[in-house]
Amino acid sequence: MISALKNDLESIFKDIQISAPEDDRLIINAQKDAVLTILKFFKDKGYDHLAMISCTDWIEEDEFELIYIVGSYSVYAPAAEDITSDKSGVSKEAAFNGGNILLKTRISRKDPRFITAIPVFENSEPYEREIHELFGVDFKGHPRLTPLFLEREYKIPPFRKDFDTRRYVKDFFDQIPFVENKEK
Amino acid sequence: MDRNDIKKWFKSPDKMGDKYSLWAIYFCTGCGIIEIPPVITARWDAERFGVIPVATPRQSNLFLITGYVSVKTLRAIIRTYEQMPEPKYTVGFGSCPINGGMYWDSYNTIKHLDKYIPIDGWIAGCMPRPEAIFVAVTHLWTLIDQGKAKAYVKYREKYGLYRKNQEMALGKLDWPPLYTTGGGND
Amino acid sequence: MVINILEIIISPVLAFIIGIFFMGLFRKITARLHWRYGPPVIQPFLDLIKLFHQQGFSHGPVFDLGIIMALAGSIVLILFIPFGGICPISNSGGLLVIIYIMLFAPLGIALSGGEAANPNISIGISRKLILALGYEVSFLLALLALMTYYNTISLVDIVEAQDNYKWALFSPLALSGIAYFIIMPAMLGIRPFDIAGAPQEISTGPAIEYGGKYLGLFNIWHALSMFVYIALFVDLFLGGGSNPLTFFIKMLVVFILLTFIHGVFPRFRIEQAIKYLWKWPVIISLSGLILITVIR
Repeated sequence: MISALKNDLESIFKDIQISAPEDDRLIINAQKDAVLTILKFFKDKGYDHLAMISCTDWIEEDEFELIYIVGSYSVYAPAAEDITSDKSGVSKEAAFNGGNILLKTRISRKDPRFITAIPVFENSEPYEREIHELFGVDFKGHPRLTPLFLEREYKIPPFRKDFDTRRYVKDFFDQIPFVENKEK
Repeated sequence: MDRNDIKKWFKSPDKMGDKYSLWAIYFCTGCGIIEIPPVITARWDAERFGVIPVATPRQSNLFLITGYVSVKTLRAIIRTYEQMPEPKYTVGFGSCPINGGMYWDSYNTIKHLDKYIPIDGWIAGCMPRPEAIFVAVTHLWTLIDQGKAKAYVKYREKYGLYRKNQEMALGKLDWPPLYTTGGGND
Repeated sequence: MVINILEIIISPVLAFIIGIFFMGLFRKITARLHWRYGPPVIQPFLDLIKLFHQQGFSHGPVFDLGIIMALAGSIVLILFIPFGGICPISNSGGLLVIIYIMLFAPLGIALSGGEAANPNISIGISRKLILALGYEVSFLLALLALMTYYNTISLVDIVEAQDNYKWALFSPLALSGIAYFIIMPAMLGIRPFDIAGAPQEISTGPAIEYGGKYLGLFNIWHALSMFVYIALFVDLFLGGGSNPLTFFIKMLVVFILLTFIHGVFPRFRIEQAIKYLWKWPVIISLSGLILITVIR
């Protein structure tokens, strides 16, 4: 169960905050040095699926927040004393499918650098590429940080909060003239 | 079929052929393509208007641009449009190709599709109902009848201007110009 | 002499009109089976007008010649097939000649497609040839049974032998007739055997690079081949016709049955189609041939 997982984590890792807002969700705030070790811990526990990597721009705190969402296809095996019976007759144990783990970490916005998670989860490659393209975060050790979605180059990566989309549209798309107007 | 129709048949059979056999290329951009499957299948049956979806641009003569156009999709749209044989008709579907719609300040969605390729007509709305496609088709019939659906001629005549706009949006284009003449006033 | 020349001119024109009419009816009946209203019956004709008015893209001389070769093959084939009373040069050939000329049209399409060098075309053509490999066996076995039973290779003689309602379908040849009928969708390229020109998988396969008048010629070829295979079935197993009208009615019945099959079946994969074609039609036609050799 999720509480057993929480106890395990707290005994192994110091300096992390864990909260469990729902029965099948665990939110972990960790320092950025510990991220790969924690991911490795979850992978060894049977959490074999990295659902996605997301990024949030906290512009007032001058930080980026990276969120690793990890799920499981093979159920996490709990300790025996955690098995309790629900009112409905179905044991909580049977309904529990490993849940979702949200691993959050903060990195500096001035110098957005981080290490890649490819050694642990290989499928993090496109997500990191996307975050590099849209937020400008540099992942050390990533084999190819080439553009994935965008056709053009932007001075500020377009998903950052200080990117002024309205001004960009005025400067770029609105400068292209209508064919009829151009003729006059 | 009334008597006027028969007169038109004798006067210009090619125009009538263009009218009643609009083959639309099945090109999906954005969310508007979700309206096309009900239109071509049993519920609204576009085939009674002679409109059928075809798989390749070589066989088609109607281009429905269904929904917002990102810069990357614009490249594919231009290539598809230039492969279609003349006479060809284009219809912008939904408010996004008209002026950006809800993507009016997006960093990667083009506004005003008619800056890059010529458009015969627009269907406004977000989303337009499937019936709107049939209204558009019948309007296109009238336009063809009156000789006003000449967007492809405009593209040929002002190809230089269009090509310049396309290069402004996409950078250097990696395919040769379609027409060597028709530079506009540059 | 004059009548003969007239017949040579008339029969391809007649075949063209009937083929185009069948294509329109095909779309209409399919639409009604889907509970749609469907296009007008003259819709393929309108499409042809548009296609010949449209600009076409050529990919080289073989691209142009291949499609003309396919069309010429179909027209020559029509001249050998008796249509009611009209049979222009059927005296000078027989079933063997027809089997040879039948190869012309797919060959022309393959040549033409090879020039266009689109990968989907090569996939489509290889699928078509594999499908031909599938149905050709039982087709030849059925024809062999016919030639053995009537002791002739002339189509006119076969039609005459079936005079007075002695149709081959209601004789010991019934098994061969059934085998021919169940491979006919594969010959015409309609469902469940429209693998070669599947628009959802390989973008109409061989027809992908045709546009404008080339697609028009392709459609005419399709209409003519539709006429040829159905007319051959009527001639061989339904006793031909004493005049063009009865012949046409027989063709219509066969055609509508085929359209029903088209309307209700999904598409086979290529290996399923081969598995099917080498199993049931071959078993039926082979037992038909054995039956004929035993009772003769």
